[in-house]
Amino acid sequence: MNNPYEVLGVSETATDEEIKAAYRKLAKKYHPDNYADSPLADVAEQKMKEINEAYDTINQMRQKGKGTGSTGSSSYSGSANSQFYNVRIYIQRNMIDQAEQILDSTPMGNRTAEWYYLKGMCAYRRGWSEQAFNNFTTACNMDPNNQEYRAALNNMQNQRAYNYGGYNQPNMQGTGAGCTCCDVCTAMMCADCMCDCCRAGC
Amino acid sequence: MFGYLQIQKSELLVREFEAYKSVYCGLCKQMGKDYSFLTRLSLSYDCTFYAMLLMSVSKTCKGFKDGRCTFNPLKKCKFALCESDCYSKASAFSVISVFYKLKDDLKDEGFFRRILTRILLLFFSHWQKKAAKKYPEIDKFISEMTSLQAEAEADENCSVDMAAHPTGYMLANVFALEAENDTDRRVFYEFGYHLGRWIYLVDAADDLEKDRKKKNFNPFISLKEEYNQQQIVSALNQSLARAYDAYNLIDIKDFRGILDNMLLLGLPSVQNKVTDNLTGGNNE
Repeated sequence: MNNPYEVLGVSETATDEEIKAAYRKLAKKYHPDNYADSPLADVAEQKMKEINEAYDTINQMRQKGKGTGSTGSSSYSGSANSQFYNVRIYIQRNMIDQAEQILDSTPMGNRTAEWYYLKGMCAYRRGWSEQAFNNFTTACNMDPNNQEYRAALNNMQNQRAYNYGGYNQPNMQGTGAGCTCCDVCTAMMCADCMCDCCRAGC
Repeated sequence: MFGYLQIQKSELLVREFEAYKSVYCGLCKQMGKDYSFLTRLSLSYDCTFYAMLLMSVSKTCKGFKDGRCTFNPLKKCKFALCESDCYSKASAFSVISVFYKLKDDLKDEGFFRRILTRILLLFFSHWQKKAAKKYPEIDKFISEMTSLQAEAEADENCSVDMAAHPTGYMLANVFALEAENDTDRRVFYEFGYHLGRWIYLVDAADDLEKDRKKKNFNPFISLKEEYNQQQIVSALNQSLARAYDAYNLIDIKDFRGILDNMLLLGLPSVQNKVTDNLTGGNNE
């Protein structure tokens, strides 16, 4: 395994608080909620696992034994009795062409809310966000009480409303947040950038 | 590409801004060396971003060197040194995309501009061949993009997703070339796809008024529906959000501060500048 300190991006001399802060920051970044429905959900999950392990290891090494085994499980699972069971399996495996093939061959009369939801999911995986948004909306209109469809639509609405240029992005470091910046973050950033550019140079 | 991948200068550290400039200068120098002084004029922010990303993930920036600007010998500048072919790749990317852009422009320009474009094309086709020889994949994806784009625009039912797909597809594949394994490949692909999609859509939003007047193709205006400002903003946010989520999974080794700055501040501020200018159009 990699050096757990490197995984969290902190130095070995960092205090417990700094490590906790770094861990929290990363955990927030890789949080499964950010990747709900994303084709990269598993990659984020893996990263989450790595930082969890790193954090646990550091805690153990420092004999605190606090442990925070909070591995998020994000894989969404469909009900087995769904009429589109195969489609769900294909989507889970990122085999979008096959999934869409089944969906497209479904007669008009059988296109239920779930059909629109899954169609939306295929579009989402392809990156066709506008189409996905329309399909999720249709699914929710047809079956307003379904939590699964609602969650997918909410996820998209969050992305659509969230302008990252917004000013509430806490993990943007060194953006003139006043003197409190003179602490760990800035020091870390400096060290980081210096190493980045000059390590082999000088 | 169109120069939308910018930094938010006011929020960069001075050191970071200098690093950014020195990558820009390094790339400019390489373009002059690989092609000609003329191609240097076509250098865009987008290619600088590409070069920076390449250098960051391959960790090949090896310090900085003092020098003088070739355009203005009185000006001193720094060049970021790169030990792999990041600069060449980015230069090739730039030259190739300019070539296809010019070729595309031929179709819908006035008589006089067309003559100018033809002259430029004469030069660029030579450089494009040279670049394509070195990086055949990049040439392949960009030329594919051009033909896919023409196809999409000719389609009567062309949706926003369809129109934005070729650019996303191209950048996704170009970025995916950097991946070392399958997981990486998917991450780069997703990042490139949504970034490319965003670039295309911002450009479309930027051209909205012009296209409306001239009755040119624009994905936000179709027979069926027309996007209002809020919808355009939502579509752009979405692409950026997904690009950012993918970006977070990339192992960024150098220039993190600069790249973060671009994704979290630079691009959104470009986007805001473009969308604030939309005078609402027809609010359904």
